[in-house]
Amino acid sequence: MAMTDAVLRRERTGSKFETYMWFFTRVSGILFLLMGAFNIIYANLAGGQGNMDVGAQMRWAFFPISFHVESSAVEVTPNFSNPFWQVYSFLLLAFTATHGYNGIRVILQDYVRYPLLLAWLKALLFLLWAGLILASIFLIFVFAG
Amino acid sequence: MSKIARVSLPNAVAYRGGQPMIAWLLHRISAIGIVVFVSMHIWAAFFLYAVAGTTGGVAEALTEFYEALPMQVFVLFCILYHAINGLRIVILDMWPSLYRYNREAMWVQWAIFLPLFLLPAALMILGGS
Repeated sequence: MAMTDAVLRRERTGSKFETYMWFFTRVSGILFLLMGAFNIIYANLAGGQGNMDVGAQMRWAFFPISFHVESSAVEVTPNFSNPFWQVYSFLLLAFTATHGYNGIRVILQDYVRYPLLLAWLKALLFLLWAGLILASIFLIFVFAG
Repeated sequence: MSKIARVSLPNAVAYRGGQPMIAWLLHRISAIGIVVFVSMHIWAAFFLYAVAGTTGGVAEALTEFYEALPMQVFVLFCILYHAINGLRIVILDMWPSLYRYNREAMWVQWAIFLPLFLLPAALMILGGS
């Protein structure tokens, strides 16, 4: 018990990083649900109804980018391809990547017992996270733009 | 700051945590599934469009893997379970007094999740797309 208290006290005096990430995980999680609902409602109101198959509707709901609806009969431009959806889908992806890679970091902290190995794995995770953001910037703004 | 728990594998398997343990386990499995799928999908698209022809078919192999039916059904399971279970976690974190109804909430959660997952999954498997 005494040790638990000591651990808790030490963590409480440390940085607020874990608290902020805990909060971010909750807020972004709610945001993903709202964004998914908004995407699927928008797609059906903006000409998708009857023109998008189930696969295209789900792809658009999970990630709204023009080439996710290209295979369907729906008119891609101007409804589904414009700067608003580019910025929107980039933000969605940046939040998703941060939410996901932070979660992997939490899982690693549960299982990796060697501090040095954990530090290297966290560095690797950070690189994967940053690489994912850069690749998505290329795909959304350069390739689809 | 990992807390060291020395539990043998048979003991770990025999531990009967019930519904909350299953939810915790499925939440982690689905989390890893989503991160693997999203990362794989973005890198495959990046290699396919940005450096086409120089990756020796890596992008095509990745695409073939995640577009296969079992993987699609697994991804649908991961996203739906993670979303619905995550919503329960957020609600309980915001209003901790609701923990009294956690057991009921978990059954409600299954009642929401199973139709939402099984109907599209059945359509995907039977429709062959």
